[in-house]
Amino acid sequence: MNKEKEVIYGLYDDEEILLSAVKQARADHLDIMDVYTPFPVHGLDHAMGMEESRLHIAGFVYGAIGTLTAFLFMTWVFTRDWPIIFGGKPYWSVPAFIPITFELTVLFSAIGMTVTFFTICGLAPGRTNPTLDDRITDDKFCLAFDASDSGEDVRDGLRNFLSSTGASEVNLKTI
Amino acid sequence: MDQFVFDTKKRWVLGGGMILGLLCLLITFFTDDQFHTRFWTNFLHNSVFFTGIAFISLFILSAFTTALAGWSTLIKRIWEAYSLFMIPGLILMLVIAAGVWGHWHHLYHWADEAAVKADRIMLGKSSFLNKNWYAFGTLIIVGAWIFFAMRIRKYSTEEDKNGPGTDFSYHRKIRIFSVIFLPLAGFSSAAMIWQWIMSLDAHWYSTLFAWYTGASWFLSAMSLTILTVIYLRGQGYLQHVTADHLHDLGKYLFGISVFWTYLWFSQYMLIWYANIGEETIYFRERMDNYKPLFFLNLAINFLVPFFIFMRNDTKRKVGSAAFVAIVVFIGHWLDFFLMIKPGARITAMEAAAHSAGGAHDAVAHGAGMPFAIGFSFPGLLEIGTMIGFLSFFFYMVFTRLAQASLTPKNDPYIEESLHHQVV
Repeated sequence: MNKEKEVIYGLYDDEEILLSAVKQARADHLDIMDVYTPFPVHGLDHAMGMEESRLHIAGFVYGAIGTLTAFLFMTWVFTRDWPIIFGGKPYWSVPAFIPITFELTVLFSAIGMTVTFFTICGLAPGRTNPTLDDRITDDKFCLAFDASDSGEDVRDGLRNFLSSTGASEVNLKTI
Repeated sequence: MDQFVFDTKKRWVLGGGMILGLLCLLITFFTDDQFHTRFWTNFLHNSVFFTGIAFISLFILSAFTTALAGWSTLIKRIWEAYSLFMIPGLILMLVIAAGVWGHWHHLYHWADEAAVKADRIMLGKSSFLNKNWYAFGTLIIVGAWIFFAMRIRKYSTEEDKNGPGTDFSYHRKIRIFSVIFLPLAGFSSAAMIWQWIMSLDAHWYSTLFAWYTGASWFLSAMSLTILTVIYLRGQGYLQHVTADHLHDLGKYLFGISVFWTYLWFSQYMLIWYANIGEETIYFRERMDNYKPLFFLNLAINFLVPFFIFMRNDTKRKVGSAAFVAIVVFIGHWLDFFLMIKPGARITAMEAAAHSAGGAHDAVAHGAGMPFAIGFSFPGLLEIGTMIGFLSFFFYMVFTRLAQASLTPKNDPYIEESLHHQVV
């Protein structure tokens, strides 16, 4: 991951132009490194041919772990470890356990998914990720190709592709 | 195909369903006890259920209009058609109200004036739980809802004929009526739910009962919407409605199912925890004598939509969406069954014991209630009655759908709905 990459990218002014460029790139069998947009663009994931994220499956597993942790822990505490009668209720009072079980399910899945997401994306406190261009967080839509191992003819081909599909700027940057 | 045709075949099928329902109602009436309790509870149950679906459809329509939701524009005609069922619904509820005046039935304990005088709790509630409030409250409040439904429908169909108007004047009018309707509906529906359903257990009350019932109506309406959309698409209509629209409808079914469970549990847990006799009686009665239904209700209304609709693809596929919608629809019909039957049954049993010369408390509360089809669990007559009301509902809905184009073509949000995309 630490190896420097040479990236050829084009900046588009409009998400519709970007979307058709992405579709064109896929049709031409070009290997897209990534697409950067200032806001979510509908249909972009599909156009890029991205698989559905599996983060939610992880979320379900974390949630189930939370459910079990809370429920089994309370069961152990109130029936084995330290049984106390509250308000004349039985030791094992399932309705009273439900709110905490719910909270822990949410907590586990939220924290677990956040940590997983950060790990997948390589995010951590103090880490900076290089941006190709500051304007992609504002009003530009960027389509990037990894050209580290490409010869000059391939690079020219990528540059031509970007400008022919309507990119207003085409640049090369080492990140 | 933009124009829905309510052809003879559909009329015959729905007409047959209505005749079946009528037959079941008549059989119930003539094989019933002296107060016709089973007949009247079935009548009340289905009237409240389908009137509520009509009401909540207008609520959905207004909420979506107010929130500037564009995706639902393609299917808003279905909710318009649903909401106009409030007109026959009002008539059905007025039959019950007339029964309160004429003492045709013993559904409501508070309708028995002698019993109210001897009862401190019911006396305290008598300024609200009385026959005037019941009849005129229903007439005025449901009448007001109908007014809003007809106005919104009128502007919507006029928009179709005359174009969007200068500065989208039709849409703006619909929005104004929607915005006024929402708070009005929120407060007035609570009063109606208390009158129609909660007062069956005249001594008991719960402050979140109205939301709980409202959520139940919402889910019934949403599942019927999913089924109607799937049916109309199968018939060759609504071809612009895609899996993405189905997905969003499924999200509502999923989300509000969780909300419903949350309300169910909130109501249950607070009463369980506080353990005050006059509050626990509601659940004691249902857990002891209606056990199968009590747990079935929770299982199919929470577990089925929660675990099946948790995934994306199940909401988008016709088969799984229709399956969950059918289960949830039946589930909430059972939910209303469980809200209505036990209270009315006790009232009728006490009245029967009373008129037979016994003491007022001849039927002790909490004592074992014998298992009886029609009260402990829906029997064939209940199912037939439900099919009758459902056919009646759809007869009216299809009549309304045939009166206007299925696509509101001049709605300013139609383009957004045509290009709706969720994943």
